[in-house]
Amino acid sequence: MDRVTIKIPKKLYEQIKELIKDTGFSSVTDFIVYVLRDIVASGKLREETGIPKEEIEAIRKRLKMLGYLD
Amino acid sequence: MKKLFVIGLDCAEPSLVYERWNDDLPNLRRLMEEGGYGRMRSTIPPITVPAWATMVSGKDPGELGFYGFRNRKDYTYDKLFVVNSLNFKAKAIWDYLEERNMKSIALGVPPSYPPKRINGIMISGFLTPSAKSEYAYPAYIKRELEEKFGEYIFDVRNFRIDDKENLLKQLYEMSEQRFEIVKWLMKEKNWDFFMFVDMGIDRLHHGFWKFFDPQHPKYIPGNPLENSGLEYYKFIDRKIGELLANLSDNTSIIVVSDHGAKRMEGGICINEWLIREGYLKLKCKPQGIVRLEECEIDWKNTMAWASGGYYARVFLNVKGREPEGVISPGDYEKIRDELKEKIESITDDKGNKIETRVYKPEEVYREINNIPPDLIVLFGDLYWRSVGSIGFNSIWTHENDTGPDDANHAQHGIFIYRGELDLKGDLGEIKIEDIKDIMLKHF
Repeated sequence: MDRVTIKIPKKLYEQIKELIKDTGFSSVTDFIVYVLRDIVASGKLREETGIPKEEIEAIRKRLKMLGYLD
Repeated sequence: MKKLFVIGLDCAEPSLVYERWNDDLPNLRRLMEEGGYGRMRSTIPPITVPAWATMVSGKDPGELGFYGFRNRKDYTYDKLFVVNSLNFKAKAIWDYLEERNMKSIALGVPPSYPPKRINGIMISGFLTPSAKSEYAYPAYIKRELEEKFGEYIFDVRNFRIDDKENLLKQLYEMSEQRFEIVKWLMKEKNWDFFMFVDMGIDRLHHGFWKFFDPQHPKYIPGNPLENSGLEYYKFIDRKIGELLANLSDNTSIIVVSDHGAKRMEGGICINEWLIREGYLKLKCKPQGIVRLEECEIDWKNTMAWASGGYYARVFLNVKGREPEGVISPGDYEKIRDELKEKIESITDDKGNKIETRVYKPEEVYREINNIPPDLIVLFGDLYWRSVGSIGFNSIWTHENDTGPDDANHAQHGIFIYRGELDLKGDLGEIKIEDIKDIMLKHF
């Protein structure tokens, strides 16, 4: 399999190494490839979710308080 | 590597920054002297959400498909939606930069909740429901900010309070935190383009204008809050100075507002006027001052209704379009013209002419998407606001019934530039639609 080299911050590398200790991942690379494949497979990095009703109500109340709405 | 840093001061007013208080704002003054400055012509209407969205996309409100905070969802009478970032579908400056593999940080640029996934960091603005919401992309930024700065302050918590000292304290707290967060992000994170918006000046204008403008009808000479405006602008100027000290020499700088501000003389009760002129008929008799939505409308005998705010939107009740429409499509233009003319001739309460401007959306926008109001009304050159509530028994009001009414928005905001482009000295008028391209020229 063709591979390329990607650089990540050393600190992050150390953190991941710590994180995967005693898990099924044999290396940091394995873990990163797994996580990235998962994201790519979902294919929806850009899909946005809607805003729940109660949040919309909170926004409306704020606008009214500020005088934008009457 | 060239960079661009944009400081957004919601509502900052050119006559205060460029003239009245210029000597007291050394950092802004220095940017003006070393670069250029102009009067930034805002959107119609000059309202926060469409204005910032237009600035970062180059598209006008018609092209964006939202005309104010609240927009009609369909042609029924009551379905409205409040704009959020999901309605903002046009490409923004950070999307253009992403195509060039450049990183952006956008903090508090409305409409930005929920935060969009950009190449960089986005932190949503004052329309974020609460500090508990997921307001940052990537999500871990929220945790970082909370650890360092405590709960994020999106806006003043309680705006309609009579305790002005308390309100002022909240304003300082909010802007202090905002600028400190910006200072941290600009140092710790990677970016080619950085833009943030602080809401403090807008809230100051609406809450304190009458204390510092001798021409305001409610101004009292020597009042204890007379210096509140100047002191706050000086504080913002100092905070800007701190940011500038952290920028490298190859960073260009823009300081911009989305619109300006001016004293508010009072409100014109647009629905009261429509009732008097026979365009709007109610089934109920309002007991005291109530919102129009709280009153049953006799749609079969109503030709037009309106909503208020800093400007008015007038809607016509058209046969085949609205559920109980009465105006036949063939008469639509005639009635719209008649209304435009009559609204433009509404005087103030003393019978003086005021410069009201009434716009038809198709005449001011390059394109129309979604549902615009049939008429957009800016009363009395924006010295008057629009009141949608009814039950005043008058067309004019000077009372503060729906919110702070010291100041209204003005059509022009500020635009100050210092950087590598040849924008020097007095730049005259700059259109808000052109700012995106000015920003993009740096990359």
